[in-house]
Parts: sequence; structure tokens; C-alpha cells
Amino acid sequence: MSVDEHETQQRLKAAVHYTVGQLCQKLGDDHRREFSRQVIAAIAETTFRQCDIFAKDLEAFARHAKRNTVSTEDVKLAARRSTALSIYIQNKSEELNQDLKKKSTGKKKSRETEEESRE
Amino acid sequence: MAEQQDPEISFKKETVKKLLSSFFREDKTKISSDAVLLMVEMLKVFVQEAAVRSQKQAESEDCDQVDIEHFEKILPQLLLDF
Repeated sequence: MSVDEHETQQRLKAAVHYTVGQLCQKLGDDHRREFSRQVIAAIAETTFRQCDIFAKDLEAFARHAKRNTVSTEDVKLAARRSTALSIYIQNKSEELNQDLKKKSTGKKKSRETEEESRE
Repeated sequence: MAEQQDPEISFKKETVKKLLSSFFREDKTKISSDAVLLMVEMLKVFVQEAAVRSQKQAESEDCDQVDIEHFEKILPQLLLDF
């Protein structure tokens, strides 16, 4: 890994750490139980490494479907292990599709309504 | 599963995109913007699950602060769930 790549990784890690810190702060305030700095760092590191696993899975799924671009279908597949998570991601994906439908009422719409009527 | 607490706090789309791209084995692999949005959600759920489960663990041990040992105890199951 080059020096530049290494620095980019460090910056991304810092960005993850920052957001994890904010999310933990919020939960800590809501439930009156604060998180130690060490826990926040550990969750950030775990998230970073989990991201590595997700990325490699997504890439493999896309490649298996003979694509070079990771699509929402691949993400849905990555969320298969937990039923609740899987449903949550499916719903989010449908929300995204709804937004898309509002923006463009083209040929994509007819295909989606067709899918809906089938359900 | 943890309900989303605040829509404002989340990972930035650009961060997640760069993060995932940096882990891809091949340079030609791309990611669609909708897929990035879903991954933003997924990572947020992951962090919230980690945090809430650690908090519950701390609560069961009657601790006022969530510490590394609480996170260590919930980590194996967390990783199995994702």
C-alpha cells in the first residue's frame, strides 16, 4: 500500500470514528448511559473491518451476476443473515424506488407497477 | 432491531462510497448510488446495534458507563448477525 493510500485509509477511518462517536453520544443521552472513549474506538474499528467484509461480498455478488457495478440487489443479498435487517433493507430499497418513480415517470415505472401487482 | 434515532446523524454518502471502493479487489468494480444509500443504512444499523447491545449488557451488569468489556461480550453475536 502506498503512502497516499495509507493516508486515505486513515482519513476514512477517522470519518467512521467521528460518525460512530456521534451515534453513540445520541444513544448515550437518550438512555442515560454514556459510552467510554475506548468503546467508541472499538465500535469504529469493528465497523471499519466489517465494511471490508461487506465490500468484498458485494464485489463477489456483482461479479457472480456478471456485472462490474454493485447494485441494490447485491446489498439486499449482503443483508440476508438477519431477517429483521433483511426486511429493513428491502423496505429502504422500495422507498428509494418510490422516490425514483416520482422523479421520472418513464419506462421504469411500468416495470415496477408490474412487480407490485404481482405481489 | 434498533429503530433509527435521528435521521440527521448518519454516515456521509461520499465516505461510504470511498470506503467500499477502497476495499474492492479490482479497480473496475463500481457501485451504484442507490446501493451506496442502502449501505449507509446498513452501516448505521450495524453501529446502532453494536451500541444498543453494549448498552443493554452494561445495564444488566448495573454499570453506569458502557465499557469495552460490555462490547466484547456482545461482539461475537453481533458479527454472526451481519
